[in-house]
Amino acid sequence: MSVEVRHIHKTFGAVHANDDISLTFADGRIYGILGENGAGKSTLMKILSGFYLADSGQILIDGRLVHYDTPRGAIEVGIGMLAQDPLDVGPLTVLENFVYGQPVGPLPDWQAARRRFAELAERLGFRLEPDMPVERLSIGQRQELEIIRLLALGVRVLILDEPTTGISAEQKSVLFASLQRLAREDGLTILFVSHKLEDVLELCDEVAVLRLGRLVGTAVMPVTTGELVAMMFGQALAPPSRRAATPGDTVLEVQDLFMASERVVMRDCQVCVRAGEVVGLAGLDGSGQQLLTRACVGLARPLGGRVLINGVDMTGRPYRDFLAAGVSFGAAGRLEEGLVAGLTLAEHFILTDAGQGWWIDRERGRQIAEERIAHYRIMGRPDSPIETLSGGNQQRVLMALIPPAPRLLVLEHPTRGLDVESARWIWEQILARCAAGTAVMFTSADLDELVTYSDRILVFYAGQVTEVPDARSVTVDELGHLIGGQRVGEEAGR
Amino acid sequence: MARRTAVVLIVAAAMLLAATGGFAQDEEFVFGMVLVGPRNDHGWSEAHYTAGQYVEQQVPGARMVFFESLNPADAPETTLEQVVEEMLAEGAKVIFTTSDEFEEDTLFVAQKYPDTIFINVSGDDALTGEAPANLSNIMGNMELGKQIAGCAAALATETGKLGYLGPLINFETRRLAASVYLGARYCYEHYRGGNPDDLSMTVTWIGFWFNIPGVTLDPTEETQRFFDGGADVVISGIDTTEALVVAGQRAAEGAKVWAIPYDYEGACAGAPAVCLGVPYFNWGPAYVQVVEAVKNGTYEQFWHWNPPYFEDISDNDKTAVGWVNGDALTEEQAAQLDEFIAMLAETDPGVLTADNIDDEGKQIGLWVGPLALQDGTVLAEEGEIVPPRSVWYLEQLLQGMTGDSSAQ
Amino acid sequence: MTRSSLLGQRALALGIGMASIAVSLLLTALIILAVGASPLEVFNKVTEGIGLTPTGLDMVRFSGVVNFWIPLMFVCTGLLVTFTAGLWNIGVEGQMMFGAVCATWVAQEVFLPTVVQVPLEMLAAALGGAFWAALTGLLKTRGGVHEIFGGVAMNNLANIFSIYLISGPWGNQGGQATPPFRQETLLLPMSSEFRVSAVALILMAVVFGGIFLALSGTRWGLELKAQGHSQRSALLLGVPVERNVLLAMALCGFMAGLAGSVRVLFTYGNLRPLVSGGIGFLGLLVVLLTGTRALWAPPIAFFFAAILGGSTRLKIALQLDQSLAGVVQGILVLMVILANGVRGRLRGRHPAQAPEPSASLEAEEAAIHG
Repeated sequence: MSVEVRHIHKTFGAVHANDDISLTFADGRIYGILGENGAGKSTLMKILSGFYLADSGQILIDGRLVHYDTPRGAIEVGIGMLAQDPLDVGPLTVLENFVYGQPVGPLPDWQAARRRFAELAERLGFRLEPDMPVERLSIGQRQELEIIRLLALGVRVLILDEPTTGISAEQKSVLFASLQRLAREDGLTILFVSHKLEDVLELCDEVAVLRLGRLVGTAVMPVTTGELVAMMFGQALAPPSRRAATPGDTVLEVQDLFMASERVVMRDCQVCVRAGEVVGLAGLDGSGQQLLTRACVGLARPLGGRVLINGVDMTGRPYRDFLAAGVSFGAAGRLEEGLVAGLTLAEHFILTDAGQGWWIDRERGRQIAEERIAHYRIMGRPDSPIETLSGGNQQRVLMALIPPAPRLLVLEHPTRGLDVESARWIWEQILARCAAGTAVMFTSADLDELVTYSDRILVFYAGQVTEVPDARSVTVDELGHLIGGQRVGEEAGR
Repeated sequence: MARRTAVVLIVAAAMLLAATGGFAQDEEFVFGMVLVGPRNDHGWSEAHYTAGQYVEQQVPGARMVFFESLNPADAPETTLEQVVEEMLAEGAKVIFTTSDEFEEDTLFVAQKYPDTIFINVSGDDALTGEAPANLSNIMGNMELGKQIAGCAAALATETGKLGYLGPLINFETRRLAASVYLGARYCYEHYRGGNPDDLSMTVTWIGFWFNIPGVTLDPTEETQRFFDGGADVVISGIDTTEALVVAGQRAAEGAKVWAIPYDYEGACAGAPAVCLGVPYFNWGPAYVQVVEAVKNGTYEQFWHWNPPYFEDISDNDKTAVGWVNGDALTEEQAAQLDEFIAMLAETDPGVLTADNIDDEGKQIGLWVGPLALQDGTVLAEEGEIVPPRSVWYLEQLLQGMTGDSSAQ
Repeated sequence: MTRSSLLGQRALALGIGMASIAVSLLLTALIILAVGASPLEVFNKVTEGIGLTPTGLDMVRFSGVVNFWIPLMFVCTGLLVTFTAGLWNIGVEGQMMFGAVCATWVAQEVFLPTVVQVPLEMLAAALGGAFWAALTGLLKTRGGVHEIFGGVAMNNLANIFSIYLISGPWGNQGGQATPPFRQETLLLPMSSEFRVSAVALILMAVVFGGIFLALSGTRWGLELKAQGHSQRSALLLGVPVERNVLLAMALCGFMAGLAGSVRVLFTYGNLRPLVSGGIGFLGLLVVLLTGTRALWAPPIAFFFAAILGGSTRLKIALQLDQSLAGVVQGILVLMVILANGVRGRLRGRHPAQAPEPSASLEAEEAAIHG
């Protein structure tokens, strides 16, 4: 099934998110949709998948004009989108989500559904336990569930919005293999939205690049990274330079930490982070990194062991005490943890501004907001509701909310979902704080990021923590091997 | 289309206006009826509403204005005072406030509007002397009706265990429950040949006149509990008909159980096959008397405790308290019950008033010694009559009954 | 968003609002016709019941509406706080009742000059309500009991407690209310015509103004708004979420207690069962309709008070079924909710990120109330 968009326009207030975009996607091919954050990729995909209605323009399927204005309508014509945050229902099981995601009567045929589910999962190489509650799945597994669900609905055009953020390298290769099979063997049209050039280079047959709402070019593979970067930004970029580390006093010390979640048990974890040092936490999703980060900011209570900040025992103390002790935290989910949908940019700055009195000084709030917007190059205004910002801009706001010089900065996936340029810029901010003496600890699924920025790397595997002997000289391949090399026999989380 | 609808609307509105205008008559006499529950509750409030309709039939020109469900939960936006004022605006000359919930507020409005006659049902302000001249009280002598109910229960029971579903605890509810017990004991001994001490009667107070989910005990559940505990007749003392409904369901499942509802003549209709009969209030005749007296200018303050009309206890033009046999009563039982009623008639106290309530020899059926209160205090010695005032202000349940005499 | 499109949105909102009022009036008229009455007559009687007569304002009837509006507004004011904080304070009924019980205790047991006595009664009611609400808050923050379930339980408890007091220790020889309070313990009407308590009216205005300013202008108000939208994110931004939950609950209970005190010290002059009378639930409905636009609460609450107050006259004059006023109210609410939905649909297609507490709660309310 081929899809064509013609002269698509969409504005949000003063922002022209899609400006006269025309593209054609043929069946059996995989298209990469590239562009920096806020370029209009997500908007275009949401129009295609029925979440937004275009202000003007046309959508044609196999040359026939179609109209729809809901995601359901889009699925009816054969277009389905895998959202950045899968929209499933936590407490239900995988199979229940699968069944209720389809038009079923009040009495679904569970046996038939189970067979169909197993069949699809098998074919795509997904290993999903039908009876596991969805809330215990990793992001990657939830994506797999969503793909199966969309395929069962008869979708012929599959849109994936940043699917590789937050999933492990292993899950990524499973995903890519299944997408390729769907395109080559079943003739599906696949639109792959990403800012990660290497993913696009690896997977896609063609690319389309958007910048500031306009289509700036298309290309058929093979293309070089440099060419793509030039199309996206009009210039080539290099990572920020890595400064020479001179670690200071110990800021964070974790002794004999014992924690457990439903997926993993972590024992005897020892971590030490010194001022001015960047410690990366590597590992497959759910191997214990998050338990550690949460324990170090007072959001999870350890079962045993101690957490010391600046030598003071903070074990079991609430989050606000950690804040008071100079700890800053940036969580993985932006709108779930960190930003408040419904509040404006300025209100976020007011909330975190110690200089605000009991009675709010709105003028001061607006000024600070404008300052930060300028300094952090956020696309938005003081009175923009935070949920109207693009993912990358939300990440910038999160960064802008972190005080200038915290003692300890704990970050989860700090650049997830960001384009190369934004990610680079975020790291400039982090490293600037580091240079001022902040101790940094971060998790990432992006091996490049870990290798590029970490002074030391801790590898998590099924709750076991081992330090990479020489992080400064480790390569991506070596690190990937360390993370995956121990995978013998049992697997984390099962 | 829209035009046509509009025309229809206007025509309909005009017709209705004309129709309501047609009611106006020269010698109209308006009376107010304030109900504590809905007018179709098949219980206490419906009995008053029906009596109001009876007055409209009997007294030429009489017109009722009513307000139903006046209680804080159903009508939080209004008070008795506001309702009375609206009724006065409609021209009401006499207003019946038909619950002891309205006793305090009725006293207040009677003082505020001395030119209007207020009748508070079941109150005692005119007996105690607190009431101004324009406030009177009416109550039916349901104690006699409840004795009949108790007798019917004793005639039917096979297990010798009775359940009584009581509302909340006060003088009135205590004396009514006790009257049931007296009737039951008598008939168990005289017609069944049993030992009255083997007959048990348990009283459960649900906490209010009707079920309020989450606040009162659930009368449906309590009735189930009675039956589960071996009782086979449940007598209702609350405003609504749960006891009868549950008995009907049990009987449909094959159980031999019966129930006796309360308040409203037609109450048996809910489950006729298990209904032994119903003691009911028939306020109509007393209300007609009041309305006519006020209309003719012959009203004088009174406190009336009206008895059944024993010559024909279900003659609704005469009686204040009635009894109708239910379908579940056998012919033999019905005959025995008639005999019992005739026996009660022999000591008919007549209308008890503020003047004669303390007269020697006034007797309310079986309220004769030897009787003791629940804590053992002697109420009356062998052969001694319990004075009606002591019945009215009954402090405790009687010895032999199971149940609380006061709120815990 | 540009200025012109903002204006367009305003006009659209107004248009939809007008249309929904028109539709609900039409529906109401049809229902009235269906039960065999004249809509015009019904309208006349309701307006008469409010006090709007051809010859001018009937102060006595108008004061009936105001007297219902005052406790309703106290409740709404409190609920604006909990609503902003994302809390469903279903327990507001129980808080009213417990407040009324506390006011009754002072009225019966304390003997002081009126100028001290009445404020003391109201303070006791407010503190009692705050205490009752704080218990629900503690159940939530410490016990992990959702405030809806905690609130329902606390409502029942307050109810049973007040009925126990009325039929037991504070009883009036088996009566169904406590004895009337002494004159000097009561809130008094301004005049025999305009029977509204000046103290209650002024206090209500002050309290509403204060809460409006606190919610819109203070850091605390912003904190509540933040945690109302996302408790998790607010916590991470450094908001003392747990303390604010307790504070918001207690503040709402404070207002509910005041509402309860007005019911016993003015409306009834004694304590009776179910003294809250569903006013708390009605307040929830009002706040559900206004959302966080606090300034809409007084007119909408007044509108409800007027419809209910006017219906007393309606019931007596036309002898219509008592549930008619409820039906009218239901239609109006439905139309407002529908209008909100329509407006949301026309405005654009931003996928809702943070759903406001939805209409499912209404079903909850109906289940509890009815």
